Amino acid sequence: MKREHYRKIINYSALSLSGLAALAGLFWLVFILGDVLVHGIGALRFELFLQDPVPAGMTGGGLRNAFIGQLMITFFATLIGVPVGVLGGTFLAEYARGTTFARVISVLSDIMVSVPSIVIGAFVYAVLVKPLHHFSGWAGAVALAVIMIPVVLRTTEDMLTLVPWTVREAAFALGAPYYKVILQVVYRGAATGILTGVLLSMARVAGETAPLLFTSFNNTFYSTDMNGPVASLTVTIFQYAMGPYDDWHQQAWAASFVITLFILMLTVSGRMLLKWRYKK
Amino acid sequence: MTLPVDLEVKNLNFYYNGNAHALRDISLPVYKNRVTALIGPSGCGKTTLLRCFNRMHDLYPRHRYEGEILFEGRNILSDKEDLINLRGRIGMVFQKPTPFPMSIAENIAYGLRLKGIKSRTELSGRIEQALKHAALWNEVRDKLNNSAYDLSGGQQQRLVIARALAVEPEVLLFDEPTSALDPISTGKIEELVAELKQDVTIIIVTHNMQQAARVSDMTGFMYLGDLVEFDTTEKIFTAPEKKQTDDYITGRFG
Repeated sequence: MKREHYRKIINYSALSLSGLAALAGLFWLVFILGDVLVHGIGALRFELFLQDPVPAGMTGGGLRNAFIGQLMITFFATLIGVPVGVLGGTFLAEYARGTTFARVISVLSDIMVSVPSIVIGAFVYAVLVKPLHHFSGWAGAVALAVIMIPVVLRTTEDMLTLVPWTVREAAFALGAPYYKVILQVVYRGAATGILTGVLLSMARVAGETAPLLFTSFNNTFYSTDMNGPVASLTVTIFQYAMGPYDDWHQQAWAASFVITLFILMLTVSGRMLLKWRYKK
Repeated sequence: MTLPVDLEVKNLNFYYNGNAHALRDISLPVYKNRVTALIGPSGCGKTTLLRCFNRMHDLYPRHRYEGEILFEGRNILSDKEDLINLRGRIGMVFQKPTPFPMSIAENIAYGLRLKGIKSRTELSGRIEQALKHAALWNEVRDKLNNSAYDLSGGQQQRLVIARALAVEPEVLLFDEPTSALDPISTGKIEELVAELKQDVTIIIVTHNMQQAARVSDMTGFMYLGDLVEFDTTEKIFTAPEKKQTDDYITGRFG
């Protein structure tokens, strides 16, 4: 009787402690999201998307340059990062399956995923910015692509490994060459998983600031020239939030809201795809 | 017996990983339009032998063939053999159903497209024909565009057989095709095998001796990489020459 009593006390205390810990974690998440939501929506204006920044200290203007710049950098990063990641993952899971070489690359990619993004920014600075003597959108896109590649590569590898080997054998037994087996059977089976990985990696890089500070830098003017500095939302938020003007702070809130929403949408659609895939 | 021979195995030896001797000096004829069953305990080499006929071993490194398998007088174990062409003529059905992650119709169209058939009308005609041939048409005619994964295990296995039949192979290899299926589905597959031999030569590996007795014309009993005895199914199951065969089919070991 006493033992049972004791056991129940332990049970309830463990339950309340873990419940409290969950609440503490959730509190900050809701607080941050709520804060961004409240300040962001209040500061959201149409001009924000349609106008470029006005000279510092003046009121009005928008962040069209940063929205467009952010989209361009993310788009080109995806364009560079996804093919390299998908093909690399395909090599590891198919042609190099089971080899030591594949395992080494796999482990290295896992390490790459957790390398601080500022290190990658500094690396691309040394390779693409310093030798060319100017910041550029391309350097920004490459920095983000470098962050994306290991994520996409590992997801692709995992998703391809999930396709049963017997399915490949069955395709070979019909007289299919290996590239057709991969393109028409294996990719079909892994498509949603790979797409999810791509979306999540885009969400991962779209919020990066540090690597862009070193590479695409910032631009107060509207520019679609990837060879020169290009504005981005994240760097603009950084700059505006630190600035002295109230108008800047308002715009930084609005920009934070928009980019948070964008990343949230990418993540949610990624998760939904994953769920849909496993429901089948 | 003077039946036409489709495939002739001559002094075949096979090694895994360079030196594991999996098949020892196997010789047997495979008669045209007959069902040849390979029986024997696990690890006896029957699946290994089956996978020599379509050179599946070539997918993995460090294997070695010695000896010959003659198909229309040509040794298909030669390095010069075009495996893609060979596998188009000698099809295979696996132990577990292996539908591709696509619709029922596309599963069958896959092999046809590999053969270069692109016309939509020809494809749909051949899809219907193959599904009828595999006795699946009536069950799937209204859902050809559904995912193949929606089918039951037995239906999936018949779909895979239809897929293999669609490319009109001359030989079909069955690797324990019913071991993952319930008795009713097993019965349907066995009926199918019996019907199919009018059009193709069949080699079937099975653990189930009643199945070998029911569906096959010729039976080979294998043990530890040797072909112990090869004869008509009737002879093997009623009056085997070797004691080992007798022990196995009467259930004394294996």
